[in-house]
Amino acid sequence: MANYSTSQFKNGLKLILDGNPCSIMNNEIVKPGKGQAFNRVKFKDLITGKTLEKTFKSGESLEGADVMELEMQYLYSDGEAWHFMDPDSFEQYALDSVAMSDTVNYLVEQDNCVVTLWNGNPISVAPANHVILEVVDTDPGLKGDTAGTGGKPATLNTGVVVQVPLFVGIGEKVKVDTRTNEYVGRA
Amino acid sequence: MEDKSYLNKRHKLVRKIRNFFDSQGLIEVQTPLLLCAPTSDVYIDSIACKVNTDINSEVVKYLHTSPELEMKKLISSGSGDIYQICQVFRDNEYGSRNFNEFTMLEYYRMGFDIHELMDDIVSLLRRLGLNDEVTKISYSNAFTDFGNIDILNTTFEELKEIARGANLTTDFDWIEDLQMLLFIHLVEPELKKLPICFIYDFPKQQSALAKIDGQVASRFEMYLRGIEIANGYDEIQDSDTYLERFNRENQKRSILGKKIYALDNDFLKKLENPIPSCSGVAIGIDRLLHQII
Repeated sequence: MANYSTSQFKNGLKLILDGNPCSIMNNEIVKPGKGQAFNRVKFKDLITGKTLEKTFKSGESLEGADVMELEMQYLYSDGEAWHFMDPDSFEQYALDSVAMSDTVNYLVEQDNCVVTLWNGNPISVAPANHVILEVVDTDPGLKGDTAGTGGKPATLNTGVVVQVPLFVGIGEKVKVDTRTNEYVGRA
Repeated sequence: MEDKSYLNKRHKLVRKIRNFFDSQGLIEVQTPLLLCAPTSDVYIDSIACKVNTDINSEVVKYLHTSPELEMKKLISSGSGDIYQICQVFRDNEYGSRNFNEFTMLEYYRMGFDIHELMDDIVSLLRRLGLNDEVTKISYSNAFTDFGNIDILNTTFEELKEIARGANLTTDFDWIEDLQMLLFIHLVEPELKKLPICFIYDFPKQQSALAKIDGQVASRFEMYLRGIEIANGYDEIQDSDTYLERFNRENQKRSILGKKIYALDNDFLKKLENPIPSCSGVAIGIDRLLHQII
């Protein structure tokens, strides 16, 4: 993979940092009045999901990371791995629980999601921003509550628990924001 | 065309700056922008211009990167307190806050030390409507607080060890460059929380053209919300010390393979007769006004 100099740094560029593939979130050039130029860069580690900050001397270079994001269909889980398929190549990929992370909370078979591959191997998967899931367990709704002023926990068909308005009952489909784990509305 | 209200605001603020100095008896000056001898500062690049002084006689002159030496020539002629608002030009500047041309306010106060000058800058900021809290912290304390490093008593090798531990580059020829990397990495992000912050008493290796007192140079920088706005010194008074500093920069230039220029002999000659004790500061007016408008 090619090397990238600080002058080529831009948001979204994928680089190898401390052995892990990372994506640039912010690149700030700092040139002191007396002194050489530096790049203060914020990265997201694509494996751990953590954010880190590093400062480079302008002109330093880093190895690029062979990272691809592909839209794939979630097929099934066998309990140990979660299986996805690239609808263009029909190639299948298996992700372990580490790579799945919180995404397990939002995936229903046949759903589309974005799988990140590093050197051809899946390292993470992101669900769509909004997914539709079914309520499998929640306390009965309270009569007369239509405004959704209060709230109650509801277990959805993926096992995730989301705070829903009191009027939502078992068997209903709800739309959930996967970035915040919040109820958006009835689907 | 630029937004007229912006132009108006800028005009009023620049007038307030002039009033601030005029009311205290400073004299506004204009010094040459085209110089025969460009700055020797290793990390500041001058823009060269071809100038025809006669038919078929082309000479190279350089746009000034700061009016510093020309203003000190005036001080050596007895000008007393002076200020200047001018465009300055620098080559090889890039990034969202650095430009090849920007507006600088430079001023000198006779008999002031850097603390009196910092207080004076605060009065100027108040006049311009910046009433936020002021933080003053020494370079050394900033490093202890934000980086847990005793920066004045840490050797180049020890600093490299620290940098390696943080997975930062150690590819530097001089300790001051590594100090700057660590400052930008550890300290500057913390300064973003402070509306007005002065960092003073830089390590002597970063003296630039400031007087050295023991381990530190009487130099300060002002940051507004983490952005460097001003750089000031208790000024060196005699030409011998200036010559030492210029030569050191030129040595660095030669090590880095950068072009070395002739020194400003006129300046060195004038300062054989030392200038009065004074402090001076350069303030980036575009960055400053950007914080106010």
